[in-house]
Amino acid sequence: MKPDIQKIRNIGISAHIDAGKTTLTERILFYCQKIHSIHDVKGKDGVGATMDFMELEKERGITIASAATFCTWKGHEINIIDTPGHVDFTIEVERSLRVLDGGILVLCSVGGVQSQSITVDRQMARYKVPAVAFVNKCDRSGADPFRVIRQLRDKLGHNAIAIQIPIGLEAKFEGVVDLVSMKALYFDGESGEVIREEEIPANLLEKVEKHREELIDTASMYSDELMEQALEGEVTPAVLMEAIRLGTLERGITPVFMGSAYKNKGVQPLLDGVTKYLPNPGDVQNTAVDLDNNEETVELIADSSKPLTALAFKLEDGRYGQLTYIRVYQGALAKGDTIVNARTGKKVKVGRVARMHADQMEDLDMLHAGTIGALFGVDCASGDTFNHPSLSYSMTSMHVPEPVISLAIQPADNKAQINMSKALNRFTKEDPTFRTKVDPETNETIISGMGELHLEVYVERMRREYAAEVTTGKPQVAYRETITQRAEFNYTHKKQTGGSGQYGRVAGYLEPIVGEDFVFESKIVGGSIPTQYIPAVEKGFASCMEKGALLGYPITGVKIVINDGSSHSVDSSEMAFAAAARGAFRDIYFKTNPAILEPIMKVEVETPPEYQGAVMGLLNQRRGIILGTQDQDTLCFVEAEVPLAEMFGYSTVLRSSTQGKAQFTMEFASYRKAPKGVAEELIEKAALAKKDKSKVA
Amino acid sequence: MSPDIESTRPLAFSAQGAVLPSGKGRVIYLRERSLSMLKKEIILKNPLRLIGGEAGHILPSGGFGAVLARAGVGKTAVLVQIALDSLLREINVLHISLDQPVSKVCLWYEEVFNHVGKQYQLTNTNDLWEAILPHRFIMTFNAEGFSIPRLEERITDLTEQGIFYPQVVLVDGLSFDQEVRELLNEMKIVARENNLRVWFAVRTHRDDVTDEQPVPDNFADVADLFDAALQLTPEGSQVLVKPIKTPEELEEKPSLYLDPSSLLIKDGEPGK
Repeated sequence: MKPDIQKIRNIGISAHIDAGKTTLTERILFYCQKIHSIHDVKGKDGVGATMDFMELEKERGITIASAATFCTWKGHEINIIDTPGHVDFTIEVERSLRVLDGGILVLCSVGGVQSQSITVDRQMARYKVPAVAFVNKCDRSGADPFRVIRQLRDKLGHNAIAIQIPIGLEAKFEGVVDLVSMKALYFDGESGEVIREEEIPANLLEKVEKHREELIDTASMYSDELMEQALEGEVTPAVLMEAIRLGTLERGITPVFMGSAYKNKGVQPLLDGVTKYLPNPGDVQNTAVDLDNNEETVELIADSSKPLTALAFKLEDGRYGQLTYIRVYQGALAKGDTIVNARTGKKVKVGRVARMHADQMEDLDMLHAGTIGALFGVDCASGDTFNHPSLSYSMTSMHVPEPVISLAIQPADNKAQINMSKALNRFTKEDPTFRTKVDPETNETIISGMGELHLEVYVERMRREYAAEVTTGKPQVAYRETITQRAEFNYTHKKQTGGSGQYGRVAGYLEPIVGEDFVFESKIVGGSIPTQYIPAVEKGFASCMEKGALLGYPITGVKIVINDGSSHSVDSSEMAFAAAARGAFRDIYFKTNPAILEPIMKVEVETPPEYQGAVMGLLNQRRGIILGTQDQDTLCFVEAEVPLAEMFGYSTVLRSSTQGKAQFTMEFASYRKAPKGVAEELIEKAALAKKDKSKVA
Repeated sequence: MSPDIESTRPLAFSAQGAVLPSGKGRVIYLRERSLSMLKKEIILKNPLRLIGGEAGHILPSGGFGAVLARAGVGKTAVLVQIALDSLLREINVLHISLDQPVSKVCLWYEEVFNHVGKQYQLTNTNDLWEAILPHRFIMTFNAEGFSIPRLEERITDLTEQGIFYPQVVLVDGLSFDQEVRELLNEMKIVARENNLRVWFAVRTHRDDVTDEQPVPDNFADVADLFDAALQLTPEGSQVLVKPIKTPEELEEKPSLYLDPSSLLIKDGEPGK
């Protein structure tokens, strides 16, 4: 049966680590009758939460891969993507946001808006995903949902507005008052499944009135009808709800719900909120580029009768073979259909179509426009677009950050070697921020990613899922090299060693450029370098960018302009000009005063005030620039920018100097020039390593 | 490093440049020279210098300054410009905010700095930004949690470990509508003991300032503690910057205003 598009919701649940999103998802699935019992994340019953189906996730209590699942709530079909909370896995968050229409931002009522919430929010803003917020853990000591609302406004710039107010807090948290229906809601039964509606407790009336007025004031900006009703003093729930919905869709309002997922309170009203305030696929404008028409932007219509355009947003290697999570944007995808991968141009026959529920699945005949499902046995990479054979659309590329850390891995034996290659092949397809290469000099396999934990998890997965026993080296920072001043070159490559010779001369200059890795420009006039050789010159220079002469890391921020040269009618060739470009670059590089760039991480440490001094001292010792400190009630936040190279082992040191009371988050901020002393030390080390290698050879 | 560059490097290198082995004179590297020239240029062109000698030194050591304006007129923008001027001189600035988080204060600096960059048509400001950043420290407190003993404790945390030694302090978000004399007196002692120059943002109210009473009540009560005060007055679409108190009598009354698009202080007639 074709689903009513207005009753479909594709939502993501994003939050800071430990804010409780996996617990919340578990409760949602329980109330939607998708699962029949509740298990905790670090469950004593040994079962673990349903969404965290990877063994490793269960062990660490964190969600690594985004498991997609489907459920129904009051006649609405809800597709939920559970997203990871740790910064190292933000590509997962980004990928989910790309295919979602709305999000639930889960916040801890004690911890409030933390740096990861800020990152996730920025990502939501990038993909213009409307969101509702859920202030979780209202039963915890120190809970203050209104402080979290203030933080949402101040720190994230959301127009956050309470849709509910709590009845009691901390240990006395009993339920919530709904400011739209003006009813008090209590959650009875063993798992909070029975909702008891009561009149608002008298002691809360004044507070309720104040917050409802605030809510109506804010929402009336989006509805004239509500404005009129408000002036007349008679606001109906339906009009208020519609105004909140409109405000939310525009990202002008963030409705805030409250509860405690762990204590089974406030989850069902949140689900109501998802169906009432978050957009259906028809509310959201999605676009693709038409590859047959000069990459013109085309709008995708969420209509199952149109030709298909769908996006593969996640791959998984499971017991059923390769599983491809896919979102259908336009048209429908049925069993037996032939679809085309826009990237490779390959035709694919759709074998099985399914809908996933964590690690269980349900076979379907067809996926309709606006829905999320999975395909089996389709060979593709994450981010590929699939079309009806009559179309050649590509969904705009996703923002993929560059990896900042790498690690050498060595398989224990031959069998491990084979399994390791299988695993690496899979991981690189699944996760574009995870890269792998073989160092041509040492013959070691190098894996790169977004942080220590990111790589650690993949190494662990290799061992567990692929039985690939590997030993790891010390993590290496992904430095870059750059040039700092302009220099001119004029280089002739000339070789005559019998047979036809090689000749090519290139002249021009190179200069630093901000915001680009490599720019090549040809200002050749009069054919001093024949046109057919110019791409070879560019290729020659581009190959030099792969490895700088200081440390051997890639060179970025270089603009090369060629304005003169000469050729020989017999001896010039593409090879000769590429060699001339390489020679010119080698010749000139040190005259551009090259420098080393190191990755700088934004670090936020959360600590009780008594350890603030110690925390700042630790950051300072690690070449950190402390941007500032924030005193907030019983906690202090120290924000700093610290070179990644100095952050290894930081968590252990931080734990021991604060008796385990401080915690930190870290994310990549930018590349910055390494100080002279550090750069010189690195160069010295690189030279020594090179010497040792040549001795061994 | 290539051998030809290495061989031209003298042995000792300090933040002020490289000292020649003979001990006489010093080598200034090109990059360093262009940075210091850039800094000098921006400092010299800063209209704040018209208020008292050189900008950044409007206040005597241990002195207080105030920037007065209604909400939303540009107090923070002016404070940040005072700070930037000091940062460019490598003077350490401690920015205390009682109503904005660190990230928002950082944004103010980035915005004002970008506008300054645009005004002087600087193409690559990254080096300059990185050079001034270590001289800035932002502290934020909840307004109700702010007290001088707490501030002193925080400053001691920084100075004892050699992390940061403030020279100029900016206090943004302190309410002057309540009794603040005692707090200011305590702050005065801290400022004198540590040779600090302290600037406050003072929020005034629409009806407080009239032609007959140019100094608002909430500030008049404590004005004796201050050495300088700048009042931001909206006039039509412009915001004028009027020095209502200066440490020394000014020979010429400067004509300063805030550029409405960038909120940078400019001298001359608005709009010309």
